Amino acid sequence: MDIIRLENLTKLYKGLRAVDNLNISVREGVIFGFLGPNGAGKTTTIKMMAGILRPTQGRIFINGMDLEKEPSRVKGCSGFIPDRPFLYEKLTGMEFLRFLSGLYGLDDSGSTNNRLIELLEIFDLFNWRNELIESYSHGMKQRLVMCGALVHDPKVLIVDEPMVGLDPRGARLVKDIFRGQAEKGRTIFMSTHSLETAQEVCHEIAIIQEGRVIAQGTVDELREDAGVDGNLENAFLKLTEGKGIRHEKPLSSS
Amino acid sequence: MKNLFLLLSPRALGLKNSVLSAASDIRKKAVIIGATALAFWAVLFVLSARMLVYFQSVEVIGDLLAHHLLSMVLLTFFALLVFSNILTALSNLYLSADLELCHSSPSRLEEVFLSRCVFTIIDSSWMAAVFGLPVMIAYAWVYRPGPGFYIALAQTGLALAFIASAIGILITMIMVNLFPAHRTRDILMLLTMFIVIAVYILLRFLRPERLVDPDAFFTAMQYMSALKSTDSAYIPTHWATEILWGKLSETGNGSRLFETALLWSTAAAMAVINLWAAGRIYLKGFSKSQEAKGRRAGSFILDAFIKLARKPLGGDLASIVEKDIRIFFRDNTQWSQLLLLGALVVVYVYNFSVLPLEKSPIRLEFLQNVLAFLNMGLAGFVLSAVSVRFVYPSISVEGGAFWILKSSPLTMGRLIWGKYILAVIPMLILGEMLIILTNYFLHVSLFMMILSSVTMFFAVFGLIAMGIGFGAVYPRFKYENISQVSTGFGGLVYMISSILFMAAIILLEAGPVRILFTANMRGVKVTALQGLWIILAFLSIFLLIWFTVHRSIKMGMKALEEYERF
Repeated sequence: MDIIRLENLTKLYKGLRAVDNLNISVREGVIFGFLGPNGAGKTTTIKMMAGILRPTQGRIFINGMDLEKEPSRVKGCSGFIPDRPFLYEKLTGMEFLRFLSGLYGLDDSGSTNNRLIELLEIFDLFNWRNELIESYSHGMKQRLVMCGALVHDPKVLIVDEPMVGLDPRGARLVKDIFRGQAEKGRTIFMSTHSLETAQEVCHEIAIIQEGRVIAQGTVDELREDAGVDGNLENAFLKLTEGKGIRHEKPLSSS
Repeated sequence: MKNLFLLLSPRALGLKNSVLSAASDIRKKAVIIGATALAFWAVLFVLSARMLVYFQSVEVIGDLLAHHLLSMVLLTFFALLVFSNILTALSNLYLSADLELCHSSPSRLEEVFLSRCVFTIIDSSWMAAVFGLPVMIAYAWVYRPGPGFYIALAQTGLALAFIASAIGILITMIMVNLFPAHRTRDILMLLTMFIVIAVYILLRFLRPERLVDPDAFFTAMQYMSALKSTDSAYIPTHWATEILWGKLSETGNGSRLFETALLWSTAAAMAVINLWAAGRIYLKGFSKSQEAKGRRAGSFILDAFIKLARKPLGGDLASIVEKDIRIFFRDNTQWSQLLLLGALVVVYVYNFSVLPLEKSPIRLEFLQNVLAFLNMGLAGFVLSAVSVRFVYPSISVEGGAFWILKSSPLTMGRLIWGKYILAVIPMLILGEMLIILTNYFLHVSLFMMILSSVTMFFAVFGLIAMGIGFGAVYPRFKYENISQVSTGFGGLVYMISSILFMAAIILLEAGPVRILFTANMRGVKVTALQGLWIILAFLSIFLLIWFTVHRSIKMGMKALEEYERF
């Protein structure tokens, strides 16, 4: 069953087509990688899926529900992790998670509290739970955002650049959690610039360029499409024709 | 020093680019803000000029009063400048985002320091210069001095700005070396707030209005000596006062070269001291300011209060209210403003308690009730001023974390209503307190007491709805300090709208109140036509309040639903 369906999704910014007639379907229990050069429309698509930007055209279905028609129900079964973790600096980690559990309609019971503690332990934040968020490092804030996105056990996790600011241990932890979630039947829609991460954890990948999907499939299928051997990086560069990293001539040394 | 101009250029280029590329709506906003500032400027000029003309009419002591006022004005502006410099220096020298880039560049420390000093002087002095000018021009308009006054005004103003900045910057450098920069900001904010409140209350309770009432003094000698006891001869504003008064007064002698030399040599000495101190402690302090801040949170009283506030709400709204209360009491820049609010209320009520009603030639009962009626408008204005500071920013206070709410199942409608409920209760208490206490001091009739309390009760709903609505239409999620939010265009629009709203209520109520009051005084009955007028007027007021609440909340909801600047 397709748990995520984007139909003719389009976003215009002052005449610029940031996302252009995008059609993507994602099955349940899949880690879906969303790749593309800078400015390709990844973050815009993800923000539309999270319900914080409105599409100019097209529809977004999550768990069979139309985001435009039933925003609260769709948001209630999905979790969003942005690339920059802006949080309420004057709350403690635990207070922040309690706040989120209230927003997502969880009760104040012992089981909710146990879940929050479990998440804090998984993300290695338990000892920091009573500290104000303003004293957290960037990586800790990123891990706290992930904790928050999992508070209500969402069916779909929408993630923008999950590895930014994480140390190798944190990055490994996140990959393991994503795999664990997928095994439980949860779906992860993830944009990333880390091709290694995408190759390692994603079951399926879509490459987007200038707002349009230019290739979609498994890593092997993408390599086949591109007609290259080796890793995903070669396929990505071939498919996007090096856009965004093209140098007309070598940088001169002063 | 070749890099000094380079370090100054980003600010100049940024200003140039934002002026050139400003969209038409930004230009319109600039015109509205400019027009409001000009109106304020004009009012300040007229008030100052009228006061000086009045002083001139007072025989013997008129010039003494004007001299005294000049000294007080300069001292007040100088003190404000020093405080303003302390706060802006903290941002410019230690907390700005681009400092890492500047310090990691090959520029010399003195160049970075001086460039930041220039920013500090400009940031903190322009407002004092703009709003001090109408007072000074009023002096010139009344005393008709020669062109030498304007030259003296420019050079003393500049020297005072330099000295105030140097003092502010030096204090900041010392403070940052004693405490971490983030903590210093909190301490300075609190300190500034306490000093401002203390000075404000002290000044008010000294009853400066008695200065123009010689009857209040026991003897003429006592009065004259009070006026002649001027400020200390060792402070820069004294020298500036003497220089300017020398040009203004016909009896002023000479060009006051000694005072001018004192002023500029002090400015130069302060600059040298600051450069010397910067070489020793600036980089050390900057390094300290980069250290992470850490603090454990927790308060039994706050927890109990939150538990009480959550009870009637439950669910998502309770979470929003809990979060807002916690953040409010943990953020010093927010709760410390409550102290200012407290001082404002105390002085407001105190003013009513010392009104010399018995000296008025108008009939006492009539005067008391007219004042009570006008007091509704005044209290409405005070509430608007409080709302623009506390209610209007309640959407913007979400800051960069607004994405959390937008991506959650919470609808923007529920968010707005949650914020509304949280704001309306304390504002109702404040509004009723202001009205009832002031009416008590005025000894008004029971009818006027009930009328003004009920009017204020319902008006608060409209005022708060506008605060939340305009706050959602003009949100500012990127700010360094939450108090900046209210100073923008939206805050101004809200203030104007709330004043118009209160004015409309007062106008609608004026006719019926006059009818009822006159009928009561003369012991006659209200006619049927008058009765109809009264009913229609009160109905219109309820409709106006309902419409204001409905439109404001709806407009705020729509704006937040359509907000996309993430």
